[in-house]
Amino acid sequence: MLSLPEMGIYFSLVLFLGGMFAVMFRKNIIFMMLGIEIMLNAANLAFVCASKITNTMDGQVIMFFVMAVAACEAAIGLAMLITLYRAKSSVEVDDLRLLRG
Amino acid sequence: MDLSTISFLILGVLACVLTGVMITRRWPVSAAMLLIAIFALLAGMYGLLDAHFAAAAQIIVYAGAIMVVFVFVIMLLNIPPEELRYGRVTLMEWVLTAMGVLAALWFGTRIGQGYLGSIAEHLVPGLGRKPFFPEHENVKNVAALMFTDYLWSFELISFLILAAVVGSIVIAKKRSHNVKPA
Repeated sequence: MLSLPEMGIYFSLVLFLGGMFAVMFRKNIIFMMLGIEIMLNAANLAFVCASKITNTMDGQVIMFFVMAVAACEAAIGLAMLITLYRAKSSVEVDDLRLLRG
Repeated sequence: MDLSTISFLILGVLACVLTGVMITRRWPVSAAMLLIAIFALLAGMYGLLDAHFAAAAQIIVYAGAIMVVFVFVIMLLNIPPEELRYGRVTLMEWVLTAMGVLAALWFGTRIGQGYLGSIAEHLVPGLGRKPFFPEHENVKNVAALMFTDYLWSFELISFLILAAVVGSIVIAKKRSHNVKPA
């Protein structure tokens, strides 16, 4: 029988794979960004579980740094998404083939 | 099997199932709503792992702030339904998926053998700080570490947030000259 944090590591594996599938299979930029959020949350869960397993506090502190990075990433990514939709009127990555605007 | 184990299992399985439902939605708004539910479930898991401050911050920061921005942008874009389409999954992507699942399975088999604790002891000896205060004073424990050992990282994170604020304003304000009206 696994302990609680060890089960949490398995859950974080499944969540990370789910987010990875969203980034890889969905061509919609909104779904890709939601997948990135899920992957960051899986990493956070793994950090908290590791903090519980090793009985240290470092994992929980780093979790807050990951949370701040996720907030910055969401703000910048959504601003870029709005600009891209204005320029191309599409949110599919397949329509964004040129590197020049 | 006590009550906390049962509730942790229910929360975790529900979060994984909702993730699978979320990434197959057609509409972005329903996916965003499901993601809010997943964040709430994860907050419950943090609470069961005695990370109470992390659980509160998960609700406030993720479900409160980040998802509001997401839903707001989805409404602002107002994408017509015919522009939302499912992409085809290519062979290369299936191969990459299989590799990812295999890597996850390999990693999963190592967890059960006390791998994680031993790797933490070997890789970073002396890095991890034991909790300074009793277990139920989680906020004090987090703060005691964040404002001593991680003080510089904490200050640098504030610069990162400042850069993100300025950067998003610059990106959103920029007027392209060669943009054709949609």
